[in-house]
Amino acid sequence: MHIPDGLLSPGIWVGASVAGAAAISLATRRAQRELDESRAPLLGVMGAFVFAAQMVNFPLGFGASGHLVGSVLLAVTLGPAPAMVVMTAILLVQALVFQDGGVLALGANVFNMAVAGLLAGYLPWALWGGGRLRSLALVAGGFLSVMVSGGLAVAELAFSGVKIPPLLAWSAAGLFALNGLLEGLLTLAVVRGLAAVQPGAVRAAATAGRATAALGVAALVLATGVVAIASQAPDVFDSLAERTGIADRARALILTPLAEYRLAWAPESWWGQAAAGLTGLIVMYAVGAALARIFVKRRSA
Amino acid sequence: MHHLVVDQWSRRPGWLQARDPRAKLVVLLAYLVCVSTLRELTLLAVAALATPLAAGLILGRLPLTGVAARATLVLPFAGPVALAAWWSGQPAEGISLLVRACLSAAAVLVVAGATPLPVLLRGLERLGAPSFLVLVVHFLHRYLFVLSEQAQHMRLAALSRGAGHGRARRRRALWRAAGGALAVLFARSHARAVAVHRAMLARGYLGVIPSLSDLKMGAADWLLAVAGVSWIAAIRTALAFRG
Repeated sequence: MHIPDGLLSPGIWVGASVAGAAAISLATRRAQRELDESRAPLLGVMGAFVFAAQMVNFPLGFGASGHLVGSVLLAVTLGPAPAMVVMTAILLVQALVFQDGGVLALGANVFNMAVAGLLAGYLPWALWGGGRLRSLALVAGGFLSVMVSGGLAVAELAFSGVKIPPLLAWSAAGLFALNGLLEGLLTLAVVRGLAAVQPGAVRAAATAGRATAALGVAALVLATGVVAIASQAPDVFDSLAERTGIADRARALILTPLAEYRLAWAPESWWGQAAAGLTGLIVMYAVGAALARIFVKRRSA
Repeated sequence: MHHLVVDQWSRRPGWLQARDPRAKLVVLLAYLVCVSTLRELTLLAVAALATPLAAGLILGRLPLTGVAARATLVLPFAGPVALAAWWSGQPAEGISLLVRACLSAAAVLVVAGATPLPVLLRGLERLGAPSFLVLVVHFLHRYLFVLSEQAQHMRLAALSRGAGHGRARRRRALWRAAGGALAVLFARSHARAVAVHRAMLARGYLGVIPSLSDLKMGAADWLLAVAGVSWIAAIRTALAFRG
């Protein structure tokens, strides 16, 4: 799921970089407030742990094996904001040293995996982590984290103009689902082991604020919306406009602002694409955050 | 102690190795933006885009084959995407996707291969990356190999105790053992992290790592930055006018 450089269009990587950078600078500030200024070594060593953990293979049968990704594990042990910082650090080292993910695409990868995926993966724990459904919450969290980051990555590629045949899209979805289930089960196995080795390492879910849950819902809504649009646009808009007989005016209204992520006033230039990508992301994020606020208030009321 | 090849390259003597990391990062950024904004790649464009890479290889005394081999590491991801483009009737688009991905990876390799990661991180910090995040990356890099070796030792120990020969019936036990191993690794890493932190506090650490020398942009560094960026800008403009 680490997108390399050269695949994303300028509009998408600029937009995702701005969104990722904003989220990470907030998370960094929050992590500094939560831990104290001088605990960076702890987070760094835990990042190295995630690297090392990828060397422990879990047998899956038929000779295949899998390993942990770790974002949900970090979120339930360190808290979501420090976990976002650690995941970002991991992605940075992977991009610079291991050629795993691009440098320009780093913003997109950070947004997909360290921000949206992590928050969505933390959501079940924030909601049910304190009760009898803890185990289920961990499995669901691992599943959601992989599905959200994988879905966002594929959607970003589709928005960048890469044609993805339905067969490939479905097999990618199936692969993400399998990986997600595996991640959930691995997270559960490690957390169970931790309960035996070091009780108290896993943070109580009660410390999770309502705001974090709201962000998790926002990430889920954002990912679902983006994937839905990516899978249908522009064909669905086209056929809808034709079938309902809406004149060119309506089609222009729907298609011009976001079609192929270009603004009408700057159709070919890359800064036009960048502006369109950014606008789209901000609009999606605002809609997601607003929906999340309503949803979570209703739930807790 | 294992050392990464890229890390070894970055510690060799060379003109590019001696330059300020900020200059190299700015040129890298310009190159990546240039490659990313080109939609269609002609043979001429690829040749023009290869010139800055060749210059980097020569100035950094980097091995061509090593860089080329590592640049193909992007293929497992970029390959299927390019194949998808090919299947949907855009073979040219698929090929230029692959070429763009490989050129970008090679450019990152040239810079990473000519700059030790701690120096690169200081450059990033001076260019505005949050210093807390940069500090976390510093420590991640420092303990990466320590913990990886610990994980490998644990894996070896588990194998010598008979793990990895499970029948389907025993898979549950193996699974639990692997989970337990990771939990132990987590607990050990955490304990080590706390110990490291305490030792640093005892030595007067206040949240900032002092460094022996400060970064300084000299004449050669400005030359690299200005010449590199204008070269890349010239390539981009020329290609834009050709079509």
